[in-house]
Amino acid sequence: MGKKQKLTLFDVINYIVFILLALIIIIPIWKVVVDSFNAVGVYKFQLWPSDPTFAGYLTIMSTAKLARPFINSVVTTIIGTLIGLIMATLGGYVLCQYEMPGRNLFSYFLLFTMIFSGGMIPEYLVMKQLGLVDNMWILVVKHGMNVYNLVLMKNFFEGIPGSLYEAAELDGCSPMKTFTSVVLPLSKAALASIGLMFAVTIWNDYSTVQIYITNPTQVNFQYQLRVMIMDGDTPTTAYKVSQNTLYYASIVCAILPFMVAYPFLQKYFVTGVNAGAVKE
Amino acid sequence: MSNNQDTTPVVHKKPLKLRMWNYRGFYLMALPVFIFVLIIYYWPMLGVRYSFYSYKLRDIHFVGLDNFTQLFKEKEFWSSFRNTLIISIVKLLLNTFVAVIISIFLNEMTSMICKKFIQTVIYLPHFMSYAVVAAIFTLFLSTSSTGFVNETLKSMGIITKSIDFLHSKTMWRPIFYLINLWKETGWGTVIFFATLSGINTEQYEAASIDGATRLQRIRYITFPALSNTIIIVLILNLAKVLNIFEPVFVLYNSRVLEVSDVISTYIYRKTFLTAIPDYGYTTAVGLFKSLVGCVLMLASDIASKKVRGRGII
Repeated sequence: MGKKQKLTLFDVINYIVFILLALIIIIPIWKVVVDSFNAVGVYKFQLWPSDPTFAGYLTIMSTAKLARPFINSVVTTIIGTLIGLIMATLGGYVLCQYEMPGRNLFSYFLLFTMIFSGGMIPEYLVMKQLGLVDNMWILVVKHGMNVYNLVLMKNFFEGIPGSLYEAAELDGCSPMKTFTSVVLPLSKAALASIGLMFAVTIWNDYSTVQIYITNPTQVNFQYQLRVMIMDGDTPTTAYKVSQNTLYYASIVCAILPFMVAYPFLQKYFVTGVNAGAVKE
Repeated sequence: MSNNQDTTPVVHKKPLKLRMWNYRGFYLMALPVFIFVLIIYYWPMLGVRYSFYSYKLRDIHFVGLDNFTQLFKEKEFWSSFRNTLIISIVKLLLNTFVAVIISIFLNEMTSMICKKFIQTVIYLPHFMSYAVVAAIFTLFLSTSSTGFVNETLKSMGIITKSIDFLHSKTMWRPIFYLINLWKETGWGTVIFFATLSGINTEQYEAASIDGATRLQRIRYITFPALSNTIIIVLILNLAKVLNIFEPVFVLYNSRVLEVSDVISTYIYRKTFLTAIPDYGYTTAVGLFKSLVGCVLMLASDIASKKVRGRGII
């Protein structure tokens, strides 16, 4: 493999097939982006908008029915990711304390939730009692505690050399102090990749909103997008904009945060999966 | 641990109370996690008792196993159960198969830059939500004058009348599989690449010296190296086949229920799209699903221990 090999027929076919494969992924995304800037709806694939306009994006910014869900998405994603990371690091750190009385019990307590769950309806009834129906914070509560990510975090902490803990202990650090001043600073990469997993999950969640929320001021952007495109419930807008332009511009807004971050953070996006077998 | 104490009485452990006191800081750290899990995972588990109740509006009364006898008689339920298995398993096998093929041939690519680029591109759709992907393809497949697929096919003279792909009972499943392939196959290759990067390159060199062709090297080195990972991926995902909800939910519609309704969408419809839902009945459906899921999970765990020496939970 190291040596330079001659380009064989196999290589040529291989390159062609993979370029086609890449095009299959890129063309739909490119079409969405181009059409979001196109004033008139066209069915054809264009490399560049034939009649450029920003009306789609201006409409989203100026229409409360679209801007509000976008802000809801941003807020719940940020808060949810923070809470998710706090829970995953605290729990993961405690699980590393093999000598702690009750550690195994705690571990079973967490792992059992991966095997059995109450199901959609009992969960709904509990959330209703907690006042989380028709409330956007349901997204934070639902995703803030993720046992899978907690275990990933624990696996990562176990890679930190034990001598560092001992040194901190000798210096008279309390567990919390060791945690915040030794463990967390050493875990930036894990925090980035697990934080991204939380953020992607929360930002992209549509079904939780569909189940729990009907109040239009509490929905997130994914839900609003879906209602608009699938159910044809287009909000009245101040701008003159074609339906198609608005649809595609909304799709771009819904994928924008991660499409922008992805090329730079790809490393962190991918390590999460490799750290722990497979996640759906 | 207790065994350890019995066999080596010389090593005296500190009394339990003192050890617990020494760990007080850690208990405090575990507390928020403990409370959170208790509320959002364990509290709903108590609600499972409603499976044995009739729960309509404020009227809750015990009905024994009535919900389950009703469930087993319900044609719609069995149809959703069958659809769940078919849709989930075909999707799993297709996605895994294509991901393996892509990994093997991408591994043969000589240019590292090209390889990295392709990887970056094919991972992309994974980060789009199902709602977005469904929206994109609904627009592309629509029968309106801006529908990309129909109009393109028409202009090429392949079809004369637009096809309503997502509302057709025969087309829905194939389209569903294709959309899921588009979204998740690239991401599915990540795990196979991790395995492939572990293959010793000397094996390939030795094979070339022995005169093995490219395809022979793939057949006798790359593929066997992947086989264990393939089995693990299948086992791990088999445990979750009944959980499928969002991918179907964003694409299905009332006209194709027959071929697309899965257990979770059935529960959803019976609860949230019914004027006076019986929470007891839908909880029973959920419990049935959880129990079968639990058995699948434990079976996968045993299978996983056999194959790779460690479980999945």
